Amino acid sequence: MRMSEERREAGIRAKDEMKTDSRSIELCVRCGTCRSVCPAFEVLGWESRNTRGRIMVAKALGEGLAPDASVLDSLNTCTTCGICAASCPAGANPPLIVQAARKGLVSQGIMTEAQAGFRTKVAESGNTFGEAGERLAWLSDAGAIKDKAAAVYFVGCLDSYRYPEVAAKTFDILRRFGVSLLPKEWCCGSPLIRTGSPAEKVIDENLRQIREMKAKTIITGCAGCLSTLQRYYPPEFEVVSVPEFLAERLSELRPRRLDLTVTYHDPCHLGRHAGIYDPPRNVIKAICRLVEMKRSREDARCCGGGGGVRAGYPDLSLQIAKLRLQDVPVGVDAIVSCCPLCIRNLRDAGAGVEVIDLIDLVAEAIDPA
Amino acid sequence: MDIIEKLRDIVGDRASASPAERLCYSSDASMVSGTPDYVVRPLSTAEVSMVVELAAAEGVPVTARGAGTGLAGGAVAVRGGIVLDMSGMNRIVEMDLANLAVVVEPGVVQARLNEALKPSGFFFPPDPGSANFCTLGGLIANNGSGMRSVKYGTTRNYVLDLEVVLADGSVVRTGSRTLKAAAGYDLTRLFIGSEGTLGVITGAVLRVAPLPKARRLVIASFNSAEEAGQAVAATFAAGIVPSACEILDRMTVAVLRRCDPSLRLPDGDVLLFEVDGSEGAAAEAAAEIAALCSAAPGAASVATASGAGEMEEIWAARRLVGAAVSRLDPTKSRIYVGEDVGVPIKEIPAMRREVSEISDRFGIPAMKYGHIGDGNLHVALFIDVLDDGEWARLAGAADAIHRAAIRLGGTVSSEHGIGAARSEYMNEQLGEGAISVMRAIKRALDPKGIMNPGKLGLDDDYGPPSGGEG
Repeated sequence: MRMSEERREAGIRAKDEMKTDSRSIELCVRCGTCRSVCPAFEVLGWESRNTRGRIMVAKALGEGLAPDASVLDSLNTCTTCGICAASCPAGANPPLIVQAARKGLVSQGIMTEAQAGFRTKVAESGNTFGEAGERLAWLSDAGAIKDKAAAVYFVGCLDSYRYPEVAAKTFDILRRFGVSLLPKEWCCGSPLIRTGSPAEKVIDENLRQIREMKAKTIITGCAGCLSTLQRYYPPEFEVVSVPEFLAERLSELRPRRLDLTVTYHDPCHLGRHAGIYDPPRNVIKAICRLVEMKRSREDARCCGGGGGVRAGYPDLSLQIAKLRLQDVPVGVDAIVSCCPLCIRNLRDAGAGVEVIDLIDLVAEAIDPA
Repeated sequence: MDIIEKLRDIVGDRASASPAERLCYSSDASMVSGTPDYVVRPLSTAEVSMVVELAAAEGVPVTARGAGTGLAGGAVAVRGGIVLDMSGMNRIVEMDLANLAVVVEPGVVQARLNEALKPSGFFFPPDPGSANFCTLGGLIANNGSGMRSVKYGTTRNYVLDLEVVLADGSVVRTGSRTLKAAAGYDLTRLFIGSEGTLGVITGAVLRVAPLPKARRLVIASFNSAEEAGQAVAATFAAGIVPSACEILDRMTVAVLRRCDPSLRLPDGDVLLFEVDGSEGAAAEAAAEIAALCSAAPGAASVATASGAGEMEEIWAARRLVGAAVSRLDPTKSRIYVGEDVGVPIKEIPAMRREVSEISDRFGIPAMKYGHIGDGNLHVALFIDVLDDGEWARLAGAADAIHRAAIRLGGTVSSEHGIGAARSEYMNEQLGEGAISVMRAIKRALDPKGIMNPGKLGLDDDYGPPSGGEG
């Protein structure tokens, strides 16, 4: 399984993660390029709700700007989709600047209700929804969890609690290749990190279990989990996305051709943040016809769900999703994606066509175990 | 009732006095700053008219702003007051192609207009580097242009008629839809380049041009910038008018390669010649330029772009190179000062020498590129913004560049405008007589001095600012 370094380089400079100092802010020359791509700005229209404005806000906070509601709304309406970073001529990395600014405020106890909600729910329940129920309720065979395993499927909160059938389908395929599960998986930390809260506790809980299992590979079907596991966990194991895993095993899975035409939505955290564009497409093309969206790959628009926006600004979130749906080619049978948050947001925005996980397509095309 | 409430009576929740908005509208892409007291996002001429009428009654400055991509502080409220964010008025109202005209609102982004025109085989030629995000209102108010002005001219050549809200809130039209008119003072051109100091542009009838059937790009490199300049002169002398003629110095080429490593750019000082027209004419002109360059002294390499794809990649990178110097050294940032001088074409070598000398003297590196075909040299000065000493030297270097351009019979701005950043040079460049006429016009149309005060060096005598934190 080849990846890591080169792929991380292809993403938006994950290594710079913690270097959000004045230097990274000063890279912005306020040229306005990002103004034409920021999805939140397209909906909201105010200068404080675009990338350039948020960088000005982040800089001014360091110079004494009082963080009132308008400042919090400026910073927290960013989905961290990274399309601004992909188009920035100066090489600035605005999502990291936004995250660092949120973190600075949260550390002083200044946050929105939605930000506070993530903290409480994850602290109380270990998942982003505050669900009290069993995380592995979808698993019919508890014996599938081994004491030791070289590879582990990291399910994520969304598939565990909202799309358990996707978790079951994914694991049904992965376990054929000896993949196990963590006995008590926690939230990966993504919603906390994205909204400025510390995530050490959940990271430590997951890390402890990964180490106990002696796992060297973590496989996940959630783009947000992937991005977080890659960037915020120590680099002592390989993190692989489900589409990459599947793409490398097409010859073993031998999927049938299905008479379908689908399009593919690039999740921001799988595409721009991790540089994974071809594997999901290769899997789709092995099964059915693929027609690209109007904007795809590095230029793909955000679904509107990330960065805490779905929780904090639900109307904005759905309006961004509606704009993304305008990119869907006419006549496709389904929109395929590899991120439960994207899938959920596109569905909620009234896609008008089925929005499915890549694993749904694969499960349909292969024989049962 | 205070002013924000009165503004909300006009535009509802599209008026703000929040700290975040006042901050985010306090600058454009220049180093000029000034905090507005209010930001208003109008959606109609009627709303603009009512806001300006209110501002006149209250004696509050009004500064119109498009996408805020300006490089001279033209859209910055240096004396506080109201910033009118016009980018929401972004409808293409009418495509009247039988009359070679389109009717637009000022917030339409340049590239969106060209996307809409393309299927019909037309285009709006002025093409600034910021075409993908700047607004037509800003282009008109600054007489902006770009790479293709060497053949197609500037925005001034494409405006037939404007709708303008004057300083008392009244609305006038300045021209007509005819392609030519001989009917009194040319008010349309008075407002073009007036930078919002005489009124707010709320609509425009623009002339469009047929898209050329073919474009070709010749890429030639030379051992020195001097020799590249001679090749340009030889091209013009041969009677060829390229549709773009750009020079990129070695540092610019290095930055472009960092931006897009796949770009096929040669070493040396590079000239990009674009020619357009019919398939045959473009091919013939490209071959002729290639032959002229090959025979020119100091020519290192001459090539022709493989096709439309490569051509667009090179132009896309070129458009954004100004902001990209950090790619070469992340501790350095481009500061937009002294960036837009223009000189008579034959003085370009002299201007380049001046810039090199100034760069050495002040110890500020300078990337030099620009529209060599029309004498417009973009100088990218870049510094470590965390170093106060570099800031001081930067100011000295920019000032020296501006004065050198004036000395050579040129202008401190070719296409970006004067704003507040270059207002101190207006007297020196234009002379007291011309400035007096401009001041008289300003007083006649804006007796209270509320329209974008503090710009163009026209109203330094209007008294103290009414607000803001300039």
